[in-house]
Amino acid sequence: MPDRSKAPEFQIPDHIDLIQPRKWTLKNGIPLYYIQTDTIEAVKLEVIFQTPLKKIPEGKGLVPFFTLHMLLEGTHNLPSEELDNFFDHYASEVEFISSFEQHGLSLLCTAKHFKDVLPVFRSLFTEAVFPKKELDTRKAQKKLSIALQLDKNPARANQLIRKALFGSDHPFGFIAREEDVDEVSVEDLKTFYQDNFLNRPELFLTGPLGDDQVTEIMKAFEDLPNLAAPIHLLDYQFNPNEKITETRAKSVQSTIRIGQHLISKKHPDHHGLMVFNTILGGYFGSRLIRNIREDKGHTYGIYSSIGSLNPTDYWLVMADVQKGFAEEVIEEVYKEIDRLKSEAVSHDELETVRNYMIGHFLSSFSSPFDLISRFKSIHQHGLDYSFYEEQLQYIRKFTPEDVLRIGQQYFKENFIEVVVG
Amino acid sequence: MIPYQKFTLDNGLEVLVHEDHTTKMAVLNLLYKVGSRNENPGKTGLAHYFEHLMFGGSKHVPVFDAALEKVGGECNAFTNTDITNYYISLPAVNLETAFWLESDRMLHLNLSPKTIETQRKVVIEEFKQRYLNQPYGNAFHLVRDLAFDTHPYQWPTIGRDIDDIENYQSQDVEEFYFTHYRPDNAVMVVAGDVTLEQVKHLSKKWFGDIPSGNMPKKSIPKELPQISKKSKTVMEEVPTDALYKVYHVPGRLESGYLEADLITDILGFGRSSFLEHRLVKNSDLFATVSGYVLGNVDPGLMVFTGKMEKGRTAEEAEKLLDETIAEFIDQPIPEPVLQKVKNQAEAMKTYETVQLLNRAMSLAYYAHLGNPDLYQTEYVKKTAISGERISEAAKAFLREENATVLYYKSNT
Repeated sequence: MPDRSKAPEFQIPDHIDLIQPRKWTLKNGIPLYYIQTDTIEAVKLEVIFQTPLKKIPEGKGLVPFFTLHMLLEGTHNLPSEELDNFFDHYASEVEFISSFEQHGLSLLCTAKHFKDVLPVFRSLFTEAVFPKKELDTRKAQKKLSIALQLDKNPARANQLIRKALFGSDHPFGFIAREEDVDEVSVEDLKTFYQDNFLNRPELFLTGPLGDDQVTEIMKAFEDLPNLAAPIHLLDYQFNPNEKITETRAKSVQSTIRIGQHLISKKHPDHHGLMVFNTILGGYFGSRLIRNIREDKGHTYGIYSSIGSLNPTDYWLVMADVQKGFAEEVIEEVYKEIDRLKSEAVSHDELETVRNYMIGHFLSSFSSPFDLISRFKSIHQHGLDYSFYEEQLQYIRKFTPEDVLRIGQQYFKENFIEVVVG
Repeated sequence: MIPYQKFTLDNGLEVLVHEDHTTKMAVLNLLYKVGSRNENPGKTGLAHYFEHLMFGGSKHVPVFDAALEKVGGECNAFTNTDITNYYISLPAVNLETAFWLESDRMLHLNLSPKTIETQRKVVIEEFKQRYLNQPYGNAFHLVRDLAFDTHPYQWPTIGRDIDDIENYQSQDVEEFYFTHYRPDNAVMVVAGDVTLEQVKHLSKKWFGDIPSGNMPKKSIPKELPQISKKSKTVMEEVPTDALYKVYHVPGRLESGYLEADLITDILGFGRSSFLEHRLVKNSDLFATVSGYVLGNVDPGLMVFTGKMEKGRTAEEAEKLLDETIAEFIDQPIPEPVLQKVKNQAEAMKTYETVQLLNRAMSLAYYAHLGNPDLYQTEYVKKTAISGERISEAAKAFLREENATVLYYKSNT
């Protein structure tokens, strides 16, 4: 009979391997980053470009979106249907990569079919033809999805908080309307593809490939044009303290968003903010979950998170709550922030969050495809692995005073609030 | 193939060990053979609600998550019609904590009134978030209710309605626990940087003294074959019409299931699928379409669903879907199409097994079906099925008398 009243002994992992990719450079200057994982029979190749962030000309906000999503709709050699058959025949998955600052395509393929699939995947970047018929189909789908986004409270709330944080002229704050779909023409897509799409390409590769196979990939991409348009950092237009409410009588819940801008990932306080955010709403044991879900039962889930962008990070609280309780929940969020600013975190909670974060850190460096993601998220911000080493050090060492200071310095009462429902 | 070793404790707990020493993590996946098919009318959603209660602490563990987080672990769970599956992922050096936590909540869960009432509210909010506050969110409530007359698959795992969730009494909860949450009704998979000897020792130590169940499980009502087409029309504030057409198909291990699975692989999987090509790309009726089987243990459903383009109706869409399916049944399946779905079945196994957690879950799932080797043998069986057999099965399943249709219409 075990003594169940005593928790088993435990250890905190002291050494964590930060597996890094090898870098290769193609003739045209494009870098390729490769993590070799011999235990899996799958290959993942991502080709990622820097999105040129420009002010959106009126009505043309969806041109980048359609350019990307039309790449599989036909090339000079293969019409849409044959492309689909080709990739599906080899059970390979081509996915669109589309974030605020990057766009591109990812290919997931079995190792044994990779060689066959590579040339056709490569052709998507320079041989796409943007046929009208297929564009019309994608346009109809996009209109439906825009209508659905408007109908879904959480999606609508995301639009509104992005607009409030970045301004509607900025690509991050842009809200697509059905009219914007009509404005997009085949010519627009061809021009964007030609002039702006292939901006500062980088290749990210994971799989069980030998050097000769990596060389094949390099050869395939060494004639890819490598545009180097300057990256503009557009200013955000936003009003701190903005409160937006969209009332929907028939909704049975209210969607809440609270947000603000933070600091750049390069700032030394970034690690402290990550810890603060985790304690507040970043894991299941967080203050927000304990209070709003596990004590009051007002929601199925409430979380806070930090989003990373090159100029600056931003911070968000997200929840769908019981109808009629939005105000109360927002008040409780502020109370929890105030508590973290005024009362030191207990030894017990500190130990829990510290150990949780170390375990989570180990776990995030454990699965093959995660390794390249860890690399991308520092690399795309101009950081190296010392970022992770410092982060881990910070997690091991932070004190209750650190948490208090971060709260006092970065969580002052000028949050943007959105309520939909 | 996912390599594993296996043993069974005297109390009936089946344990599988999957060693992977390329990672420093471990996974403990505990599957209970209970889902919404084990529920009764009026008390639907109980299996899923009970999953929430399992995180409410046990006799020696006041706060489940905190105890796990303290050793660097994370956990979650899901419930479906057939199973409830709990998983813990943690640094392998702390594996014993996972055993302590899982065994304590199997042995004596804290069913405190506070947890029972708060989780009732949380689950009601989950119900609203996922099914009521979403365009088309209640479609499968309506489809299941219409398609099944007697089998509990007639309600979704979240429950038939909020009233049912409000109705659970503490006696229901206790009875459910003592009937289903017993070692002889569970499969445990321990995977990652662990060894067979270590898992044997820990399993005996922490689970060995938990008594087997002594409350019989109730038998599940069988669904009789459907003899005529059923349909229903609803008008809702949604952007466009949607069509849901479903057909009864055999259960997971019954003859004909793999053929049904192949039919939807051909018709509905991927950008090159027959339906995507015919209905979305080459018509202006469907904006989206998909086809799949639900994969239930008991006889379940083959589903075809799509959203219409603006101004087009679900009735028109059904007509085109029917014509397209008729054409599929009448024509022999081209060899390249067969080869494609077989390549896909093979590749899926590669992709799915990249993550340690997925490997553990697959082993547990197939062990619950009867044998972990089914993971491999089912794949071999599936990829050996001929085009003629697929066509015959399509003819047998895709009949109007066997169909149920929901016209989910836009009134805006």
